[in-house]
Amino acid sequence: MKTLLKIAGALAVATAMTAPMTMPSLAQTTIVAPGQSTSGTYMDYMKTVYARATFAELLQVPIATFDKEFELTPMAAESWSQSEDGLTWTFKLRPGLVWSDGEPLTAEDYVFALQRAATGGYDFAWYWDFAGGIKGWKEVTEGTADVSTLGLVAVDDLTIEVTTVAPKPYLPSVTSLWYPVPKHVVDKLGDDWALNVDTIVSSGPFDLESWEKSNNSVVLTKSDTYTGPWQAQIDRLEVDPSLGAPEVGLPAFLAGDADYSFLNTGQVPVATQRYPDGIRKNAVFATSYISYDLDSAPFNDENVRKAFYYAVDRAELTSTVLKDIAIPAGSILPPGYPGYNPDIAAEAVFDPEKAKQFMADAGFADGAGFPEIEIWYREEGGYNGAIIPAMAQYLQAEFKDVLGITMNIRVLPGAEWMDGLRNKTNNIFIAPYEYDYLDPSNFYGIFFNGGRHGYHIPEYDALVSQADSESDWDTRYKLYAEAEQIMIDQALIVPLVHPITIAVISDELGGDASTPNALGFTSLDRLGHYFFTHLTKQ
Amino acid sequence: MISFILRRLISVAVTFIVVSLIIFFMMHAIPGGPFDANDMPVSEAVRDKLMANLGLDQPLYVQYFRYMWGVLHFDFGVPYQSPGDTVTGLLSRAWVPSLVLGGLGVLIGAPLGILLGMAAALNRNTWIDYLASTVATFGLTIPVFVTSMLLILVFAVWLQWLPASGWGKPERWILPITAYALIPLATYARYTRSAMLDTINRPFVTVLRAKGLSERRIIFQHVLRNSAIPLVTVFLPMFIGTATGSIFVEAMFRVPGLGAYFVSSIETRDYPLEMALMLMITFMYCIAYLLSDIVYALINPRIRVGGGQ
Repeated sequence: MKTLLKIAGALAVATAMTAPMTMPSLAQTTIVAPGQSTSGTYMDYMKTVYARATFAELLQVPIATFDKEFELTPMAAESWSQSEDGLTWTFKLRPGLVWSDGEPLTAEDYVFALQRAATGGYDFAWYWDFAGGIKGWKEVTEGTADVSTLGLVAVDDLTIEVTTVAPKPYLPSVTSLWYPVPKHVVDKLGDDWALNVDTIVSSGPFDLESWEKSNNSVVLTKSDTYTGPWQAQIDRLEVDPSLGAPEVGLPAFLAGDADYSFLNTGQVPVATQRYPDGIRKNAVFATSYISYDLDSAPFNDENVRKAFYYAVDRAELTSTVLKDIAIPAGSILPPGYPGYNPDIAAEAVFDPEKAKQFMADAGFADGAGFPEIEIWYREEGGYNGAIIPAMAQYLQAEFKDVLGITMNIRVLPGAEWMDGLRNKTNNIFIAPYEYDYLDPSNFYGIFFNGGRHGYHIPEYDALVSQADSESDWDTRYKLYAEAEQIMIDQALIVPLVHPITIAVISDELGGDASTPNALGFTSLDRLGHYFFTHLTKQ
Repeated sequence: MISFILRRLISVAVTFIVVSLIIFFMMHAIPGGPFDANDMPVSEAVRDKLMANLGLDQPLYVQYFRYMWGVLHFDFGVPYQSPGDTVTGLLSRAWVPSLVLGGLGVLIGAPLGILLGMAAALNRNTWIDYLASTVATFGLTIPVFVTSMLLILVFAVWLQWLPASGWGKPERWILPITAYALIPLATYARYTRSAMLDTINRPFVTVLRAKGLSERRIIFQHVLRNSAIPLVTVFLPMFIGTATGSIFVEAMFRVPGLGAYFVSSIETRDYPLEMALMLMITFMYCIAYLLSDIVYALINPRIRVGGGQ
């Protein structure tokens, strides 16, 4: 028995000593990254956005995209120009782009992608309608017009012409989500082309090596046929959505199985202490704010709304309750977003005396006589799920303390919450909004002429409408700033926080993408084209 | 015996049909659907077209009969998540890692648990008993995702002996199988201990001892056989439970098995996949209990109700 034990012990020690040494060393540079969605149907962004396979978009080259500083950069397009009347855009493609099967990538592949999206039940069709404003889009998606009437033309192999219903000065930024679809392959295989690794062809910096459908993990490899800007600097990219949950991602990161991991609030202090140089903040370009039913008491009174605006201690909220998974919001636009105005953001200060004064002016000194209200928020997962419930409780306590009012909290499923907002069945909401395209019109649009909040503020609508079609960028931003000033002056909303995500990255990662930009953000799960093509590994 | 099995088979069929009805109608009773406007904002016309393509515009009972007709022909439909595939094809691939994980987990955990339980029963109120009981209590009370996390911390992060997660290579199997095996190990240790203690104190054991039989023969030939019934009751259902019980272990160790499909099919309202998973598990449980009953009957003829009375 003793001999047996000795042998077993010796074996265990020998295994322990040799195990780390026998791990194979990789000749190629491989980055293991967390993904987000664990289920995906098609490896085709232009077929479905919501049920797309992991990083389907990284396989294709968009017309344009955003760089580290969130500046628009041409990708498949070499240049673009706008017609005098502002309604027609001409995009010139780079010559020499090819599909991974050797076929040339042409203007027709881009036009085909959107024509198919307009007719094939594409779940992102609304984007090309309200954001893109493409002529005929609505009629074609509703089936009342033929697809040939769309404002999209492939003039020749390298020229695309886009006509919009109104001037859309930001259309090039909208094209950051315009990926080509291989018409020659779809003609042969239909939608099935995007279901199997063998039939998927790519046009972007990465090719697809494998796709595990049970957890939607993919392995991408550096493309050797891609000739456009931003070539991959790593050989392989393994994206595993099961690493997306910080509870799984961080242990894998600690064990060296992942190159970076997102963190939950509990993990942030531990990771910060252990890897002070490895912490990265990632902007998600979203805002949480309070909105009201402006037409009924008590929030039809500007004084009441202003009292709420000044009663929020955003710095305390983000640093204590939210443990820095959000930053204070003073405006509807998040920092770094085009048109962000730090002066307006700076106006949102915590001033309990001012708040009390406004309440008194409204006839509710120290909250006396103020009706009991109920704030509604939407049931959510992801970063909103981590932020909003805690924030609601914080606000409840703070409003009690500063304003002397009773605010109850109610959580509702998405559809019922939206119904309450639209039909004004409640009077105060916590509303989250995340950008769809990088232009101020996206955020201002939600309050424009009814929008999602049923707000009708004539002077605001006039400014936003003018800014939306103005082609001079400085004038546009000025007009939007004026519109935002109206929002703040009339306290139409109370900006609360901008969610961010926090991650820890390995010190083996290098390249331009691994260092924060001028605003201190690193694009870990946004702007994938920039991030994954500007990342290196030792 | 044959009539006993036949009657059992009929009850299995009835259970299967009742369960399928309950699952099908409950699944459709939950608000929302695969093309819910919140998740997939397509136009009304397009939504109608998509629903019609999948037969979701038909009355529920028609959908039910269509689905079950397919099931009778081993056709579980096409998963909405992966339209180029079939539910059967998809599950047959995903089942492999789950079976390896769960199967090895039970096959390793159960015998170890039995040994531990026996050691505890035979050394009652000694340190061996206390140690075994502590291990069993820990195994049963600490959630599997906590034990998984601890295993990762100790063996992957601190000692760096094993990879933290992933599948494919055998060394990646060790931690998830260990984490999973702790469940049957703890369960069996407890069951075995109490079943054996129960048997050891019965009069026939005293008689056997009085007859002068060796302790080894008493334990292995008589006590263990008489303690086996509760162990058989647990074994097969636990084996089947591998399909569902390993969801957490699969998630923690990133095993590409059935667990992920379980979660995603519910999230995405992938009815054919959801239904197939539930039906397969129901079927396997039914068969497992049937086999348990047969094994009981073999171990203890008195259980052959109607057959030997």
